[in-house]
Amino acid sequence: MTRLLHAELIKLRTTRTFVALTGCALAASLLLVILTASLSTIDEVDLRTLFASDLSSVFIPLLAAIAVTGEWRHRTIASSVLAAPDRVRMLAAKTLAYALAGVVISLAVTASIMLAGTLIVSGRGGTTLGLSVLADVLWRNLAVAALLGALGVGVGTLLRNQIVAVTGLLIVGFAIEPMLATLVPEVAHFGPLVGAPSGILDITSGSAGALSAALAPALAATVSIAWASATFAAAAALLRRRDLV
Amino acid sequence: MAPVEVRDLCKQFGDHAAIDNLSFDVEAGRVTGFLGPNGAGKSTTLRALLGLVRPSSGSATFGGLRYDELEQPAARVGAVLEDASFHPGRSARNHLRVLAVTGGHPAGRVDDVLAIVGLGDAADRRVKGYSLGMRQRLAIAAALLGDPEVLILDEPTNGLDPPGISWMRELLRRQAADGRAVLVSSHFLAEVAQSVDDVVVIADGRLRAQGTLDMVLGDGDVCATEVRAQDPGRLTAALQRRGHSIQRDGDMLVVLDATPERVGQIAREEHVAVLGLAPRVRSLEAAFFALTGAPA
Repeated sequence: MTRLLHAELIKLRTTRTFVALTGCALAASLLLVILTASLSTIDEVDLRTLFASDLSSVFIPLLAAIAVTGEWRHRTIASSVLAAPDRVRMLAAKTLAYALAGVVISLAVTASIMLAGTLIVSGRGGTTLGLSVLADVLWRNLAVAALLGALGVGVGTLLRNQIVAVTGLLIVGFAIEPMLATLVPEVAHFGPLVGAPSGILDITSGSAGALSAALAPALAATVSIAWASATFAAAAALLRRRDLV
Repeated sequence: MAPVEVRDLCKQFGDHAAIDNLSFDVEAGRVTGFLGPNGAGKSTTLRALLGLVRPSSGSATFGGLRYDELEQPAARVGAVLEDASFHPGRSARNHLRVLAVTGGHPAGRVDDVLAIVGLGDAADRRVKGYSLGMRQRLAIAAALLGDPEVLILDEPTNGLDPPGISWMRELLRRQAADGRAVLVSSHFLAEVAQSVDDVVVIADGRLRAQGTLDMVLGDGDVCATEVRAQDPGRLTAALQRRGHSIQRDGDMLVVLDATPERVGQIAREEHVAVLGLAPRVRSLEAAFFALTGAPA
């Protein structure tokens, strides 16, 4: 498994998609934090919620889905399976790799936005967060990123078509879950991309606050793990019996 | 036990039998051509061998073990698939690094195989800039990475120019000379005829013939004899009286189903002077078409 994981991490690092999406996540997160911390009145700046706005959680499932569907798009899946004939182990390695990638990207993004936000707010004479609060936000961001990375691998393996997978993730994250949050919030709390992750992040204000209020972080984490596990199980079952012609 | 054994292999896609009860062996130290027209079931058979396609029944094994049961499959079997594909944004070196790490091969092996296939200078270029021939060479490098005992190549000459095809022939011969079992598929007999020892011919998913190239495609008992005689009319009548079929080809007679010895004997008995006498060897392509039922 270590070899497979290592190989998946090399695959991840040696394409431009990884660099591009990581750059996008970092730039978008920094922009959001810098604008909010600079332009809002200092009393309105809720740093805890702001630091939970690590947008890598948007890009990581996309990165994972793009990478996995790329195996079919570029027809490299056969050579991957030849090198690692145990397909479930191969899928497990991909899942671990993108969970780990999620952690690394989120760590870089969260650290950057915490630094930028803290510097701006302290420069404006506002109150900054203590280390214990920062650490609490950080581990929640990392946990969400890891789970969404794993989820993206499962979705990509199930759908195989890159455009369908990416579009599907965007529609669920930006249209279906927000719509459910308005119409049936008690259902939306269990959503895989926004609902349950918001519970893990324990956001208590802002538009996402209404979502997270319903699920306690531990329950939200359980729901997110269940989503990732169910997707993995379905993807593994399909991959095992699929003919690679 | 042969390095590669296919036994009663069947693969059904819906109502269509892509492979129908196929059995053959591939021996070590020999290049075996796996021949058949497009759609004959060659790629499906090779993919079943490699565990990419699940057989409906029968088995396809390496020394008695399925590909996914092998201890270190990439070190036992190297494969080039027909649609050898790579991530276009990854360099050849990185592609091979991934495979080397997955297969547990030494990192230095990457440079070795790049040198073997002549891609050393282009190793750090992204694959999307590669020609079809360079991609084929990269696929072969990937297959050689584990220094395997068995090589399986599906239409490896696709996209290669004549020097590339010649290089491929030499490579196949060299691999077999080193004791490896080499199975190479092709729908184009002429490309592999010079490099194979044995052939397995299939059509419509069924085995049509198996054996050495000469035995399967040379097929001496159906040869014809070309004869030029001083009096072709008399010789024709004499041959026809003895039950042989004759075709005229200019001033030459082509005697079907008779050896030159038999034709010479009849001419002597009839006191007809023979000006030329030779066997008409059926071309490999003609024999191939006859076996596979493809139009000549």
